[in-house]
Amino acid sequence: MYKDKWPGLLFISPFFLLFAVFGLIPMLFSFYLAFFSWNGLGPMTFTGIENFRLVLEDALFWKSLSNTFIIGVMGTLPQLIIGIFLAYALNSTLIRFRNVFRVAVFIPYVTSIVAVAVIFGVLFSNQTHGLVNSILIGLGYDAVSFTTSEWGAKIAISLMIFWRWIGYNTLIYLAGMQSIPKELYEAAKMDGASIWSELRYVVIPMLKPFIIFTVFTATIGALQVFTEPLVFLGRSLREEGITIVAYLYRDAFMNNFFGTASATAVMLFILIMVITCVNLLLTNQIGRSKWKGGPK
Amino acid sequence: MAKKAFGLALASTLLLAACGGGGTEDASGDDRVELTFWLFGTTKYEELAEVYMEENPGVKINIQEGDNTDHHNNLFTALSTGSGAPDLALVEINEIERYRDAQDRFINLYDYGAEELKGHYLDWVWETAENRDGDFLFGLPTDIGPTAMFYRTDVFEEAGLPTDPEEVSATIQTWDDYTEMANTIYEKTGTIVTDSPELVYNALRDQAKEHYFNENEELIVENNAAIREAYDRTVELIENGVVGSLELWTPEWGGAMDTGDYATLLGPAWMIAVIQGNAPNAAGNWSIADMPEGAGNWGGSFVTIPAETDHPEEAYDFVKWLLSPENQLQSFVDAGLFPSAPAVYEEEAFINHTDEYFNGLNTAAVFGKAAQQVESVYKGRNYMLVQEEILTALDNVNSNGADPDAEWDAAMKRINDRLQRG
Repeated sequence: MYKDKWPGLLFISPFFLLFAVFGLIPMLFSFYLAFFSWNGLGPMTFTGIENFRLVLEDALFWKSLSNTFIIGVMGTLPQLIIGIFLAYALNSTLIRFRNVFRVAVFIPYVTSIVAVAVIFGVLFSNQTHGLVNSILIGLGYDAVSFTTSEWGAKIAISLMIFWRWIGYNTLIYLAGMQSIPKELYEAAKMDGASIWSELRYVVIPMLKPFIIFTVFTATIGALQVFTEPLVFLGRSLREEGITIVAYLYRDAFMNNFFGTASATAVMLFILIMVITCVNLLLTNQIGRSKWKGGPK
Repeated sequence: MAKKAFGLALASTLLLAACGGGGTEDASGDDRVELTFWLFGTTKYEELAEVYMEENPGVKINIQEGDNTDHHNNLFTALSTGSGAPDLALVEINEIERYRDAQDRFINLYDYGAEELKGHYLDWVWETAENRDGDFLFGLPTDIGPTAMFYRTDVFEEAGLPTDPEEVSATIQTWDDYTEMANTIYEKTGTIVTDSPELVYNALRDQAKEHYFNENEELIVENNAAIREAYDRTVELIENGVVGSLELWTPEWGGAMDTGDYATLLGPAWMIAVIQGNAPNAAGNWSIADMPEGAGNWGGSFVTIPAETDHPEEAYDFVKWLLSPENQLQSFVDAGLFPSAPAVYEEEAFINHTDEYFNGLNTAAVFGKAAQQVESVYKGRNYMLVQEEILTALDNVNSNGADPDAEWDAAMKRINDRLQRG
């Protein structure tokens, strides 16, 4: 019995070896570095919690944190909600060419993130002849300097994230919906349930594990948004759109302040853990009928 | 299906693991000295390397090219971890600053007799490659980027200004002339004078003898009147409404070059290739005149020999040959790299080099003159940090109409705060 374990362990070992080399060891090194001042080449000097103080006292750090949350909410929350409706539509028998639409919805996900950011950069150009600005002017509004305006930058980045990830979440919900037994839909129809009640009382409760999964991945993804602001804002990474990972990237790889960058990474790690736990508690409430109560 | 995918994943993982092992060993079997050379940009050095290998059968040069940012990040990582660095590496002029306090990672070219070559190159370029005490040489200079004023002849003509390069140089000698020209063009044609605050600010900045740090790495920008003046002059142009908000290297920036949305572009010699690439339809509409009040330098590189190499002598011999005046002339002809060796400026093939795109202008002469005006400026390892904060301030003034004095103060505060991290 014991002997049988070895082939199994051997089979899964490549993952753990690679994870140790590329994941675990760098992560532990980051924790260590967070207490040193280091430029990447010179000697490391132990500075205690100085790096944490510098980061916590930096207005830009707090700004990047609030940007991350705002962009996270604007970019991912609509994804999860609209994703359910899209999946419901793609799962219903009312639509023709369902497979075409299913593929179309998923295509943005396989697009290179840099290509997406470049295209959106052109759409949300600061110039008056940019596409979005042309539309705004046509509607009688003033043109917006997207990369330098408080909300312009956030909206552009959020839309990029929404566009790219909506297909992924829709696909997961679609798979979830197909796993719901047909009898439940039929029973709902027999009882004369509207589409809305069917969604509310059949689909969403049955989708709960899928929703939890997407909320998890979306939350972690939202806290790690990086490429979109980097490509959209360019090297300047202005405060209107800088996210927390972009903030630490700027410290580490543009200015070679590896100590403060690591301290930021440690704080981000803790933040992600806390938020994921809160999320777990909240999403557990989905589909739970309050009035029935009962022990769970 | 799933099984297949799993098998594939496993196979590729194992392959990856296998690759990790034997990369560094010399498996070639022949007894030639193998030199790995990391490059970025368009240098055409591979062609020169072929010639060198023919002349020196005992040496094999293995060239690996990368994108500018990737190249420098990879090199930084390799030097930081102390493994994986090549025998020869191209390092850009601003990038070399971050290695100044890590000179143990490089071979001192003075130990191999580089002193004898000193006279071949422009003094200021040579000094940039030295350490502070002048007894350590990081690399030999490749090309330089002396700056000039590219301008649109069609816009100048429309505004009733002279279009001939010599006349333009004679008319726009000072920054006051430049401002006046900008206002004239804006009044007569509605065209702005420059793409963004960045290039005007850089051109003005480059006329200061000291920039952001002194040679003891102390921040001096706050009390540097010359830099503040560069800032104020840029603000003045912004307030006159003649500065655009096209960010460098964006597709729109390139497109505007073609359509002539801005009248001047203050840039270095290697911008020639950038303009020709972005503005194929504007041939004949661009010309080049002298930079008002003297040229600065933007770009250029050094070939360094990381200390990890097993063949420093062979590497040095190759660099010495590659960057000799004769081969710099070849690189200029091949790839437009403006020579850092003044002897080339006397060469027939160089002097007579004209460019049809710029109406048959003798581009070599324009930039040759600019190159002689450039002086060495100490930059310091956090140069780009300061530069970016000042540009952010200028962008805020330009795009959001922020108060210039408040933005300057805010930038100085951010710079001081951020420097505490290093």
